[in-house]
Amino acid sequence: MALLEVSHLDVGFNTQLGSVQAVNDVSFQIKKGETLGLIGESGSGKSVIGMSLLRLLPMNACVKGEAFFEGKDLLTMKEKDLQKIRGERISFIPQNPTASLNPLLKNGLQVSEVFERKGHSKENSWKSALKVMERLMIRDPGLSAKKYPHQLSGGMRQRLVAGIALSLQPELVIADEPTKGLDSLTRGKTIEFFKHLEGDEDRAMLLITHDLDLAYEICDRLAVLYAGEIVEMGPAGELMDLPSHPYTRGLIKSLPKNGLIPLEGRSPSLLELPGGCYFGERCCHHKKECSCKHPQLKNSGAWQTRCHLN
Amino acid sequence: MQAPPAQKQWSVANQMSPQLIEVKSLSKDYSRLKVLQSVSFSLKENETLGLFGISGSGKTTIGRSLMLLEKPDSGEILFRGKDLLKMNKKEISLVRPKLQMIFQHPETSLNPKMKVQDSIAEPLIIHKNLSREEIHSEMKRLMRLVGLRPEHLERYPHQLSGGEIQRAILARIISLEPKFIVADEPTSMLDASVQAQILRLMMKLQNDTEVTYLFISHDLDVLRAVCDRIAYIEAGSIKSIEMNEEKRSWAEQVRDSE
Repeated sequence: MALLEVSHLDVGFNTQLGSVQAVNDVSFQIKKGETLGLIGESGSGKSVIGMSLLRLLPMNACVKGEAFFEGKDLLTMKEKDLQKIRGERISFIPQNPTASLNPLLKNGLQVSEVFERKGHSKENSWKSALKVMERLMIRDPGLSAKKYPHQLSGGMRQRLVAGIALSLQPELVIADEPTKGLDSLTRGKTIEFFKHLEGDEDRAMLLITHDLDLAYEICDRLAVLYAGEIVEMGPAGELMDLPSHPYTRGLIKSLPKNGLIPLEGRSPSLLELPGGCYFGERCCHHKKECSCKHPQLKNSGAWQTRCHLN
Repeated sequence: MQAPPAQKQWSVANQMSPQLIEVKSLSKDYSRLKVLQSVSFSLKENETLGLFGISGSGKTTIGRSLMLLEKPDSGEILFRGKDLLKMNKKEISLVRPKLQMIFQHPETSLNPKMKVQDSIAEPLIIHKNLSREEIHSEMKRLMRLVGLRPEHLERYPHQLSGGEIQRAILARIISLEPKFIVADEPTSMLDASVQAQILRLMMKLQNDTEVTYLFISHDLDVLRAVCDRIAYIEAGSIKSIEMNEEKRSWAEQVRDSE
C-alpha cells in the first residue's frame, strides 16, 4: 500500500481577477522509502502541491480532491489531528532557508525547541539537537549550535533547516527547491546530503525542484508538471534519457550542456486555461486535435503521458 | 636582465588588438580578509569573459569594482586606456552610461514603486535629450528587442516573473548603448528554460550591438555555453584563464535550433 495517495487534487486561488487554477487534477502515489520528484518551471504548481498536502496555503486557496496518508485524508481531517501528523510524521523543508530561520535565535535552540515542544526537558532537548546536527553532517555541532544563522554558510543553513524538519524522524519529507541559488560546490554537497537522506531507513520524500540534475540523481520516479497538471510521470532515469512528452523534451534541451535551446513562448495564463492541450501553442508537433481536445493521462506500464501524439 | 623583453612582447601584442577593459593588479581588503589579491585580466571588444568561482571567492567584488560600486585598495582599471579610478567626477559621468550591470536577484533590481515603463524610461530621460514621442518610440523598439509585450509596461516589478524582470533590466541597460556589461549571475535564480531564453537574448544583443560582457557565474555549464574565455578565481586571485573551445558561434546555434 502506498504511504501517500493523492487523487484528483485541484487547487484554485480566488483573486480580484478571478480564480487562478494553480493545480489541476493531480494524482500520484508515494510508496514507503520512495523519492518522487516534482519538476517543472516556476508557476507550474509544484510548490502549491507540496504546501496543500500539509494545509499550509493561505486562506484564499480552494483545495479539492483527496490525499490519503495511511488511510486518512489529510485534506479533510480535523486541524487537531493534522497537527499530530504535521512536523512529526510528514515534515516540510521550506524553499528559502535564510528566511525560514529566526535570525535572533541561536542555531541549536531552533532545533532543540522542536524537542521541547514534545515535552522533553531543556537539557535533553539540547543534547538531542546536537545529535541531530551531528547526523546532518554539520561540522563541529557544539560550536555551530551556539552561533546565529547569519554566521553559517548557505549550505549549512540548508542543512540546519533540514535538521529541524527531520528531527522527529518523519516518514515523509516534502523538500521545496533545496538547491535554488546555491553555488556549484554547496549544491554538490546538498545533493550528497540528500542522497545520504534517501539511503536512510525507509523514509519517503517528495522533492520539489526545477534542478533537473538534482532530480535525476536523487529521485526514483519523476512527475513533470506543466500549467498545474502532470504531463508525464515515470521512472527517473528513463524519463530523463528518453522523455516522451514534447514539454519534457524541451525542458531537457534547454539545459546549457544540451545546447541551451529555449522553449518558445510562455506557459498559458492560469486565469484562462486553453480548451485543448495546455502546451499546444508552444509545441512543435502541434496538430488540429491538440487545440480542441484536452489530452488525458495515458498509462503504459509505470509510465504516464498526457499527449495526443503518443 | 631577462624579464623586460617578455613584458615588451606583451605590450606589443596589446597594441595589435586594442583592449576595451584592462584590469591591472587589483587588490582589496576588508579589514583582515583579503578579498582580491592582485587580480589582472583584460577584455577585447565584443568578447565575453566568464568569471568562475564559488561563493566568497571574490567574483562579485571584481564585478562591482569595475562598475565603481566598490573602491579597490590598489590597482588600475583601464577603460580604453584611461584609468577609471583616477578620473574626476565629470569624466566618470561621461563614461558611466557605457558601463552597465545586471544583478543576480531580479526581484530587487527594479524600484518596486515604479512601473516598468518608468524604470525603462528613466535612464533615457537622464542621459539622452529626447522628446516625449521619441522616448515612447525608443521604448517600443527596446521592448521588441528584448521580447516583452506592451502590457508589461504598465505593470509593477512584483507582477512580473524573474525572467521578465531580467528582460526589462536588459532593455533599460541597452537603451544607453553600453560598451561593457557586467552580468553577475543573471540567471541563477531562473528556471532552466527561462535561463536558456535570457542567455540567448544576451548573445543576440551582443551580436547586434558588439557589447562586451564580463559574465560572473558559479555554473560552469552556463559559462561554457556563452563565454569566449573563462577565468577561474579562487580566494581572491585568478588561478587561470582558459580559452573556451566549447562555445559555438551564434550563427551556428541559431541554425541548430531551427
